[in-house]
Amino acid sequence: MSMNQDTWLERNTFHHGAFWDLIKLVKEKEKKGLKISLCIPTLNEEKTIGKEVLILRSELMERYPLVDEFAVIDSGSEDKTLEIASNYGADVYLASDILPEVGNKRGKGENLWKAIHQLQGDIICYVDADISNIHPRFVYGLVAPLIQRDEITYVKAFYDRPLNYSSGLRPSGGGRVTEILTRPLFSLFYPDLSQIIQPLSGEYAARREVLEKIPFPIGYGVETSHLLDLYELYGLETFAQTDLDRRVHRNQTTNALGKMSFGILQTFFNRLHAQGKLDKMPDLETFYRRFEVEDGNYRQLVQEVVEEERPPMIEIEGYRNRGTSS
Amino acid sequence: MPIEQIDSETLLSGLLKEMPDRIEKIREKRDAFLTDAVLLGEIPSPTYAEDNRIRAVLDRFRENGLDNPTIDEFGNASAQLPGSVGQSSILVMAHADSVFSPDVRHEIQVGSDSMTGPGIADNALGLAAMISLPRILKDLGIQLRDNLTLVANAKSLGRANLEGAHGFLETMSLPARAGICVEGSTLGRLSYSGLGTLRGEITLQVPGDYDWKRFGASGAISHLTSLVNQIREIAIPKEPKTKLVFGGLKCGSSYNTSPRQGSLRFEITSEGDEIIGQMENQLNDICEQFSAETGTLVKMEVVAKRQNCGIAFTHPLVKSTRSIMQEAGITPQVDPSTGDLNALILGGLPAVTLGLTTAENLREVNETVHLDPLYAGMAQLVTLIEAIDQGICEE
Repeated sequence: MSMNQDTWLERNTFHHGAFWDLIKLVKEKEKKGLKISLCIPTLNEEKTIGKEVLILRSELMERYPLVDEFAVIDSGSEDKTLEIASNYGADVYLASDILPEVGNKRGKGENLWKAIHQLQGDIICYVDADISNIHPRFVYGLVAPLIQRDEITYVKAFYDRPLNYSSGLRPSGGGRVTEILTRPLFSLFYPDLSQIIQPLSGEYAARREVLEKIPFPIGYGVETSHLLDLYELYGLETFAQTDLDRRVHRNQTTNALGKMSFGILQTFFNRLHAQGKLDKMPDLETFYRRFEVEDGNYRQLVQEVVEEERPPMIEIEGYRNRGTSS
Repeated sequence: MPIEQIDSETLLSGLLKEMPDRIEKIREKRDAFLTDAVLLGEIPSPTYAEDNRIRAVLDRFRENGLDNPTIDEFGNASAQLPGSVGQSSILVMAHADSVFSPDVRHEIQVGSDSMTGPGIADNALGLAAMISLPRILKDLGIQLRDNLTLVANAKSLGRANLEGAHGFLETMSLPARAGICVEGSTLGRLSYSGLGTLRGEITLQVPGDYDWKRFGASGAISHLTSLVNQIREIAIPKEPKTKLVFGGLKCGSSYNTSPRQGSLRFEITSEGDEIIGQMENQLNDICEQFSAETGTLVKMEVVAKRQNCGIAFTHPLVKSTRSIMQEAGITPQVDPSTGDLNALILGGLPAVTLGLTTAENLREVNETVHLDPLYAGMAQLVTLIEAIDQGICEE
């Protein structure tokens, strides 16, 4: 691991607890003249949307005016999502009504992309709608690094995973798709990005000036593409990540995760192709990078995984001669 | 008619005129206290382990700029909203403990017109309403002369036997004029008396050297069943009104093994303290006799005992509360309390318990409160505080 990566992990990894003083944060925001928009993309989220809008709006707009605009952008819910969100004071939009001249595609990425046009903020914070333990930290933990550090443009959430080992150490990683697909892919092709602890988390905040410069896959690949594209444009230094503690949400079926992985692979290979990495395949990395946490400190573990190979047995002389030697 | 009484009635009718407007203003400003109900309700707070929820209440007291935010030696959080005169105070109390263990998933769901989750009615909503009072008073343009003392009391339910509320009252520095206990449910509840109560647990143990060949020998389940039958033979008087409830029976864990121990929980409530005393003696006798006759070890432990107490139906505090409820469109349901009200009244304070809204599935994990009636429930609370502040509720 290079010194540069060590430094990035130390300097750009935060815990939401560092930003508890919301009065201070609001003052800093106002001093810099920043406007913050919060966007929740939805599709049939009536069970959780009421609580998200109620708590985030009440705490972060009314009690502490950190957020200037709060929008729910919907893909065409058939349940009471829109009614409930509007009842608790969110601005509610149908993605299909925003920029109608570009047509309508159905997917979360579409809503995130159209939010850039619809919302006014200099910073846009995206929060998924299915969080059942919603808390203001899910927003202030992500926008605070952008308010306080001008060089940071994109802040990603990561969470505690409820896994415990008797040694007191626990792996700190993403979900199944992150650990089985994304992190191995990053370790192979973009080792720097393997330091992002949960590259697929649905909560992140970014400056408009970078969001407007990148394409948005409309489906499962949107989080992956953001990281790959912004890394290509600006490098690792402009990223940050914040530990938001625990996130409780629906568990996905293995089938759903397979579909998600398929979408992510498409996005990934499109980027490899566009960046010429498929045609001129570099030597593959042999270091697998994952994370561990001890006493609140995150540590990247680098493990050499060399997939040595044996030739076909038929090429081995001893094999070929085994019948004749006896 | 004495001049003072005319004044009180005029003052009260002045307050009552404000009611429809208050209900609407509170509805418009609901987000802050609904948010607190969710955030506090999602912090597990079983009796004797309320610390995390109590600390969250204290943080809110601080954020709301109240005076003297404190956690006392009994684990209660309290703070004051200073009044313009401040020579006495009005006490508003909501218990912070809940019947749910931390193993239960404490998740509150928010719908358009309801909120659902363990303990939302009892008493996350009551707690949130109490915390929100300074802000609501400010929004309604009400400046109290008295200090408003807000208390989230710990150790209220079950075995705790109102320990937090008793402790707070014993150590309270500023004299209080009156007290209000706030419960999430149920709207219309009006308690102004505390019911005499005895809660106990009977444990039965089959000793190691028990003679399984003796006549009538059996395991703990059969013994406890016989014991319950014997207790049911106790004559329960109609006057004074008395009730015996079996609230819990724990025994055994398999299909084919006779358990050796078990326990039975019960509660006696009565309007006559002497009846409670007599029944306690009878229960002790039954346990002693049963133990001797069956060769088992039977012990009765009294975990909570409260005397009857109360203020009169005609007390100005009760009368004013009824008028306020009526004006808010709430039908009063007189219901003696077995909760914190006892501590307040025994502590010498005229006090009532109010409920804030209608609820379903009480003490189940899908406990639900309805939001539409809540705003009238909050308006009654605010108006009663103002009535106390204006001296309308004093004898």
